[in-house]
Amino acid sequence: MASAAIPVPANAEKKSSGTAVKKSVVSRTASPNLIHEDSAAAKAVRYFLIGISVLFIFVMMFLPLATVIKEALKQGWAAYKAAVTDDYTKSAIWLTIEATISALAINTVFGLFAAWAVTKFHFKGKKILTTLIDVPITVSPIIAGLIFVLVFGRQSVIYPYLKQAGIQIVYAVPGVILATVFVTFPFISRELIPVLEAQGTDEEEAAALMGANGWTIFTKVTFPHIKWAFLYGVVLCTARAMGEFGAVSVLSGHLRGKTNTLPLYVEVLFQGFEWVPAFAVSSILVIMAVVILVARNIFEHNAKTKSGGV
Amino acid sequence: MAYVELKNINKSYGDFKASDDVSFGIERGKLIGLLGPSGSGKTTILRMIAGLESPDSGEIIIDGKVVNDIPASKRGIGFVFQNYALFRYMTVFDNVAFGLKYGPYAQKDKKYIETRVNELLDLVGLSGLGKRYPSQLSGGQRQRVAFARALAPNPYLLLLDEPFAAIDAKVRQELRSWLKQIIEKLGITSIFVTHDQDEAIEVADEIIITNNGRVEQQGTPIEIYRDPQTAFTAAFFGQTGYLEDYRKFKSFEPIGEIDKAIVRPEFVKLTKKNEFQKFKTSAVEATVERVSFRGNYIEVGVESNGSHFVARRELEQELVSVGEKVDVFIYRIFVTKGDKAYLLQNSSLREESVVI
Repeated sequence: MASAAIPVPANAEKKSSGTAVKKSVVSRTASPNLIHEDSAAAKAVRYFLIGISVLFIFVMMFLPLATVIKEALKQGWAAYKAAVTDDYTKSAIWLTIEATISALAINTVFGLFAAWAVTKFHFKGKKILTTLIDVPITVSPIIAGLIFVLVFGRQSVIYPYLKQAGIQIVYAVPGVILATVFVTFPFISRELIPVLEAQGTDEEEAAALMGANGWTIFTKVTFPHIKWAFLYGVVLCTARAMGEFGAVSVLSGHLRGKTNTLPLYVEVLFQGFEWVPAFAVSSILVIMAVVILVARNIFEHNAKTKSGGV
Repeated sequence: MAYVELKNINKSYGDFKASDDVSFGIERGKLIGLLGPSGSGKTTILRMIAGLESPDSGEIIIDGKVVNDIPASKRGIGFVFQNYALFRYMTVFDNVAFGLKYGPYAQKDKKYIETRVNELLDLVGLSGLGKRYPSQLSGGQRQRVAFARALAPNPYLLLLDEPFAAIDAKVRQELRSWLKQIIEKLGITSIFVTHDQDEAIEVADEIIITNNGRVEQQGTPIEIYRDPQTAFTAAFFGQTGYLEDYRKFKSFEPIGEIDKAIVRPEFVKLTKKNEFQKFKTSAVEATVERVSFRGNYIEVGVESNGSHFVARRELEQELVSVGEKVDVFIYRIFVTKGDKAYLLQNSSLREESVVI
């Protein structure tokens, strides 16, 4: 995440690692005993907290993920490969990727614009807009799916026009994309709004007074500031888009090879007692998630070492 | 002719009137202080001149042209923000170079940009720090970067919003005189906003006092100090105390109904009972309420005839103590009625000059 512009005291770095601070403080202070006792207690707290966190993550994250991989490979590599390269699986992978990329593209633009509008301008209905942005987080995805069925389905007023134009949304790929976009649209703007709010508008005004145009201001002044929040939003948005089940489930109609995304396909296989394929397909989702997290970390690491550590 | 002129400017934010029929003119090359308490509308005036806000009505004229419809980016104005607003993800060099790289003042010649930036960094005494980031600088250094950055595109007019507010007292003192010198050297017309009267007196060629969205008075620091025209200016400038009833203090000729009688420390001569008081007959007795050491003088709070006010004593003079009875002679007071302020001399001073 972006660091604040508050000047860092010269010795702040030392304090970040516990052992280093103990050594340096003990050698310099007049009452080493007190410091020592203090750090012993601090040590206990530290190990306790780390222990709890590790245990929690092991039980809640690592165990299930390991189980997914183990179950997927239960009947050997060949069965796994067969399940993963199955035509239905492939089409589910492509549809998931398609929906994720669409959602990401649309929500990146929407998220940036919405965050920009909300934080840099004053207008009537701003509160209502920010509240509405949160709706997808608070509304159950199933309900979101149903709303879209009512808006674009056979009962809808606009259905005849859509049919005339040859556009099918419900139980078709556009419906899947629409549902994915809907459930993921708050993620990027929600990450950006607090950062932009904290920044204020002074730097932009300063740039504008020096004659810079809107694009220059955005790329040179605003974006460097929101870069990490933006990246984090993109990661959240991608992960959520890939995993979305509820809303997509209602809108897709579960047509194998046509409108099934990976999570839907896993459900279909699971309900059909096809355990190995179900876990094999799940493992694809796990791998995709891991790839995204690793990619983010590499990108973040490279960018941070390059920017000179501000 | 005025170089910068505001004519009947009005600006409201909802119910709050930030500018109420503001009009003033500024000559080319002058360093102007916009002085007023917080919320008096001084920053709004500055932002309107810069083009960051637009007035609801009235005209802003710079160099003979009405600039109301010219966007901020094309006005050719340098602006130093209160919190400097340095680009935190750019080095000091890139910060200063920004105005030379983008927009209408952009320079194609990279060599020129480099020379110009280094020249400015020299000017503000930061040469060699070009590679640092703003977060690695002290408050005073950031201030200088902001100043250099605003100057880079050669603005016609420099605006500074509370330029010293975020800097600690000692550095602030140095920066004040530094800024005044540099602005004089460059000869650029400048307006700075401040709520600190000492700062305004020390730095500005001319002061414009604002209050409640209106301009109270404009003039040189000494004019405003000596001759406040309005009730607000009289009370705002200097360290003021009030006399409950000035007629109880000797030798002021009654001038009818007034609102307030204002007395500044330098208007009061405070003497111990054993000291020589030239105007003994016109002096009144007062009780010392508090004695505060102020570094280069001693501030004495006194009570007399139900009024509380402040006098000063030199360090070399004999100390007074709390509760001590002393004599005070008041040379002059400002009396206010409605919006106006008048100077009232102690009549015993006049008698003296007649005698001589």
